[in-house]
Amino acid sequence: MKRWRLWLLIAVVIACACLPFITQNDYQVRILFRIAIFAALGLAWNLVGGFAGQLSLGHAAFFGLGAYGLAIFTARGVPMWISLLLAALVATLFAAAIGRIAFRLRGPYFTLATIAFAEVLRLTATNLEITGGAIGLDVPTLFAGRSFIRMMYFAAVILALITFLINFATSRSRPGYYLMAIREDEDTASAVGIDTASYKLRALLISAFITALGGALYASSSQHIVPDDAFAMEISVQIAIIAMLGGAGTLAGPVAGAVLLLTASEVFKNQFREGHLLIYGVLIVLVVLFLPDGIVGGLQRLLRRRNPPGSLPGSPDVQPEAGA
Amino acid sequence: MNGLLTGALYAVIGMGLALIFGVMRIVNFAHGAFLMVGMYATFVLFDQFHINPYIGFLPAGIVLFIFGYLVYLGLIRPIRNQSHFMQILMTSGIALILTDSAQLIFHADYRQANIDLVSRVLRFGPFALNAAALVSFAIAALLIVGLTLFVTRTLTGQALRAISQNSEIAPLMGINVARIQAFSFALGIAFAGAAGGLLLPALYLYPGVGEDFTTRAFVIVVLGGMGSIEGAAIAGLVLGLAESLTSFYIGNQWALIVDFILFLLVLSFRPNGLFGRQRA
Amino acid sequence: MRFRNTIACAAALTLLLLPGCSKKSDDNTIRIGVVTSLTGNLAPFGEAHKRGYAIALDEVNAKGVLGKKIELDFYDDQSRSDQAVQGVSKLIDQDRVPVVLGAYSSESTKAMIPAMIQRQTPLLIPTATADNVMDSRSPWVFRICAGAGDYAKATVAFLKDDGAPKTIAIVYENTNFGQSNMKAMDAAAKAAGLSVVAVESYETKSPDYRAVLQRVKQKDPDVIYFCSYLVDAATLMRQAQEVDLNPRYYTSAGTGFAAAEFPTPKGAGKNAEYTFSTSQWLPEAQWVGSREFDAEFFKRYGSHPAYHAMQAYSSLRVVAQAISDAQSADSMKIRDAIRSLNISTAFGPVRFDANGQNQHPVLVTQVQNGQYRVVYPADAANSKPVVPAPRWAQR
Repeated sequence: MKRWRLWLLIAVVIACACLPFITQNDYQVRILFRIAIFAALGLAWNLVGGFAGQLSLGHAAFFGLGAYGLAIFTARGVPMWISLLLAALVATLFAAAIGRIAFRLRGPYFTLATIAFAEVLRLTATNLEITGGAIGLDVPTLFAGRSFIRMMYFAAVILALITFLINFATSRSRPGYYLMAIREDEDTASAVGIDTASYKLRALLISAFITALGGALYASSSQHIVPDDAFAMEISVQIAIIAMLGGAGTLAGPVAGAVLLLTASEVFKNQFREGHLLIYGVLIVLVVLFLPDGIVGGLQRLLRRRNPPGSLPGSPDVQPEAGA
Repeated sequence: MNGLLTGALYAVIGMGLALIFGVMRIVNFAHGAFLMVGMYATFVLFDQFHINPYIGFLPAGIVLFIFGYLVYLGLIRPIRNQSHFMQILMTSGIALILTDSAQLIFHADYRQANIDLVSRVLRFGPFALNAAALVSFAIAALLIVGLTLFVTRTLTGQALRAISQNSEIAPLMGINVARIQAFSFALGIAFAGAAGGLLLPALYLYPGVGEDFTTRAFVIVVLGGMGSIEGAAIAGLVLGLAESLTSFYIGNQWALIVDFILFLLVLSFRPNGLFGRQRA
Repeated sequence: MRFRNTIACAAALTLLLLPGCSKKSDDNTIRIGVVTSLTGNLAPFGEAHKRGYAIALDEVNAKGVLGKKIELDFYDDQSRSDQAVQGVSKLIDQDRVPVVLGAYSSESTKAMIPAMIQRQTPLLIPTATADNVMDSRSPWVFRICAGAGDYAKATVAFLKDDGAPKTIAIVYENTNFGQSNMKAMDAAAKAAGLSVVAVESYETKSPDYRAVLQRVKQKDPDVIYFCSYLVDAATLMRQAQEVDLNPRYYTSAGTGFAAAEFPTPKGAGKNAEYTFSTSQWLPEAQWVGSREFDAEFFKRYGSHPAYHAMQAYSSLRVVAQAISDAQSADSMKIRDAIRSLNISTAFGPVRFDANGQNQHPVLVTQVQNGQYRVVYPADAANSKPVVPAPRWAQR
């Protein structure tokens, strides 16, 4: 059983590695890159939003800090890859600050606080000289050459894979169980002696670090950033929607969410012009109405009906926090 | 002074959300989108039937009430007991649908309802006040007082407050929770729509106009204290004042930041809101 | 569980390949790529683009180019710069268009440029005015509109010619457009010895600018320069009256202050009187085809065009002309044809300099009796400027 899963993972990774060679052009590689990045972001979000049940809608803060960090550090002569790490570290430090304040809050209050943090950063970046104001900054490309997007794609896949493995490790380790306990009932978790604040914070730090790396990679693929894109609430919402639509708290959910949502949005855009957001919205509403546990959650329920329970370790059988 | 005029409109928007978020704990990310629908409704009345927006906001509010009721029955009711995760997803989806539908129907270009009142200025010694802003303030004040009286004095209003305080005990007291919830959602949407109508003469209208008001509305509700409709009214006024003072003393570009910082401070130190009463 | 990844990947692939089989230029059509903001915050301007392109497309296709029809291949950047880059990739890598028009905003356009250069495909920029847009100095990049620096220089030159005021206050909206224009004016004013006494910015989304105007009033500048987008002009003037702000010159970086409805009761009405504005284009411009475009636009859409629509319109006309000059739909040949182009259009004469910038004349206009009158430069002027603007109390 276990070996079977391992082989499957390897097969998927190999398939992902081969994908850019069977695509017809760089545009498709770019879409694949976007999917891989957002799969990584969705998985990173999953640590906080899925396992710990803390719905953050402020991940654009880390995304943007990563992007701006890369641009600002390299512009000051720091080597590119070191800038990338520095940027992610800055975002992690910031996450520590956010966490200290926001984790005191519960439910929708936490969510609103995370939004506020990202918005404060967006507005600050618009007003500061060092961030180039609303005009933004140029971001260096991490790889040179005509088909740098292919290299970017591989980097994104590696990031997604690492994040997946972190998710996997979390799902079957003590800290992971603690996080899920927090999700189910924070007061009880705390009563049985779990240091809830510390575990939530750790999840957030890892999540922020990865999100910043993803943001930096993404910015590097477009080569220019502005505050309204990098710190956009749209980004936060998109990351969360990808994870939730796929199935928050599951391993495959964020990946499936990224694949489906991003391909759907691109196909709709090319087919329907101005109407594409409408169809996208309808899609979201339908999923919420008919697949309330997300796509993977829904599939699991189907499977569970056929198989005896307990056949799917690695993913929590309980749904993410019902009711407030 | 002008801060108060804007603040009154914020108060109306915030009270609408307080009805939805406070009373029903539904995280409505489509609040700004509903406001935008209200603006378009008022605009159509103005454009087709030459109805002044300061009258047109009323039918627009009524239309939005019915619309809100239907949205509640069709989309919100089925998920009202789900996690706020799902509510956020659902309402974001609704916001996308509303915004894009508006764009398909009305196209994306800017529109405005220009009435003479907007360019009339009343002067009291050194003070100058915009006549239109004054009218909208008066209407907003009426709406605020009306809603406050409704919530405190009528049976339905008290039922509504009972639910907001404890939705489990309320039905035991003979309250039809389902009906009251649908009603309060629709009323909240109607207030968003009416506020949209009142904003119409002051703003240019385009499908994305509502977006900022969603976050602002949440800021107001949290400042005012969850579930407190009067609190939301006061918080709206405070926010309008704070923005205006920041613009004057620090610079307008920092006004929004001050909003959010105020919000975070209140969240960290007074989680029950600036004016929220301490509840067990 | 991971088998679901596989399924999902497979599904994605099919989905990806689907649009892959999209239509390409066949023998009877030439496809031209367009990136603009059809949705998102800037959608109103994307709409203006779309309308300008539509009129130009009908005109061009009435005759045909090289015996073929032009077809426009739109990509919506959703008012986001990363999506604009994705659009470049879609239009060139997949649809193989030989030339691209766009984007609307300076942010999106700036982001597109490296991707265009990499793909050796010419980009014609209709509306992005920020000065940094043309920083690349690439032979593949052309801009038909004048930039923010040109606005500032024209305004300062006019002021020097006419009364030589001493102090200036800059009020800008806090966006790329506003910040670029503010910086350009700050530099131009200082170079001309004008002292900049106040630089104030505002957020477009809060409709109350009185506090900002109050702050400017305290400094009592001779000149006020607004760098404001389309929507704020009427509100700014209305509130300037309310706070009784009385500079000798109201000047501005075009857009809202140069929009057709600004001096009418639909815009600022009487409050618009005496304001100066730089302008790229007006329906009243002397160039052949201006009035016809205005009339056609009004017939189709029931409103008068702002210059964004005109810039989109003339961009497509220019590209069509270049293709027909090049006798080919090859990127390199189109690029060379654009470079050596020298034609007159409804947007004035179009000729690109070595850096790809069209030498578009910037006019300074003033609203007089509800009409835009050109007051500078002298050779294009059809009226004398009225200075100073009377105080609000005396109007």
